[in-house]
Amino acid sequence: MHITMVKKRMRDGSDCRKCGEVTEHLRQRGFWDRIDAVVWAQEDDPTSPGVVLGERLGVETAPFFVVRDDDGETVYTSVLRLIQDRFDQADASTVEEALDVDPDDIGGI
Amino acid sequence: MSVDPKTIAALAAEYATRDPRDIVEFAIREYGPDIGISFSGAESVVLIDMASKIGGKFRVFSLDTGRLHPETLQFIDRVRRHYAIRIDVYYPQAEALEKLVREKGLFSFYTDGHKECCAIRKVEPLLRALKPLNAWITGQRKDQSPGTRSAIPVVQLDPTFNSAKHRLVKFNPLANWTGKQLWAYIREREVPYNPLFERGYSSIGCEPCTRPTNPSQHEREGRWWWEDETAKECGLHAGNVTKFQDGNL
Repeated sequence: MHITMVKKRMRDGSDCRKCGEVTEHLRQRGFWDRIDAVVWAQEDDPTSPGVVLGERLGVETAPFFVVRDDDGETVYTSVLRLIQDRFDQADASTVEEALDVDPDDIGGI
Repeated sequence: MSVDPKTIAALAAEYATRDPRDIVEFAIREYGPDIGISFSGAESVVLIDMASKIGGKFRVFSLDTGRLHPETLQFIDRVRRHYAIRIDVYYPQAEALEKLVREKGLFSFYTDGHKECCAIRKVEPLLRALKPLNAWITGQRKDQSPGTRSAIPVVQLDPTFNSAKHRLVKFNPLANWTGKQLWAYIREREVPYNPLFERGYSSIGCEPCTRPTNPSQHEREGRWWWEDETAKECGLHAGNVTKFQDGNL
């Protein structure tokens, strides 16, 4: 299993707010070492690898994760879902899960 | 039956130019009865009309956020009676909603943005609605939001909720239809519709967060109009977002 995290880097070199929060979330829970690669989406650079990957996978916001294994490629836009799905952690409550996703990413409701 | 996740992209390409009814038929055939139509009380009624005429087993669900227009609630019930179907209506979790209102009041979205309120009133019930399903059908269209929905495929692995533990496929049969085509279908087949559309609403959501638009405005301008779309810091296309000016893209 190989896990890639796509993060957005702002013009000033900092992570976008949510990327920073999610990185900290992973570090605090001891999961940061489970991330095999970080790919950057550079603000104002539509050719940067993270933007290109987001376009290919139909993901609009950072951060997100791409997990590759024998079953192929799975995209996670929710860090909680990644953790419970891939790191064998107990399921989060539906409220926690709901607060972890961007409602604007969910078309059709 | 269900679709092999590895073949979804090829399937999307194959069905991209097909009639939405073909896509609905395929979806029900492959996933019925473990497939649900998401009915928001607006144009997605077209999907119910198509599915009812096709037949087969499918579910219909709605999310009652507690802030919908009375007209929308009445319409949901009218559709239930018109098509003689069961509609599973999901409500926000009381404890989480009471906490939000207690701490931030009833209109926190005007100051804090709509996302927390949407998460509790809409996303959490959606998670429960999707739990027993292997696939769902939505009414989203590319022309609803050129900035963010321009690449919607007619079928995809759900980009938000699919996981290794819960494979979830999302069908968007109307993705390539324009609003004009959709309304032609509604009129030609005398499909019931939400009366708010006659009062200038082009996008119908919660009452405090939706307002009528004029003909020169794009429909998404009727939603969360007090928020700056370009301020979505984590958007991967933020540098490419064209700001609305004078009601035009």
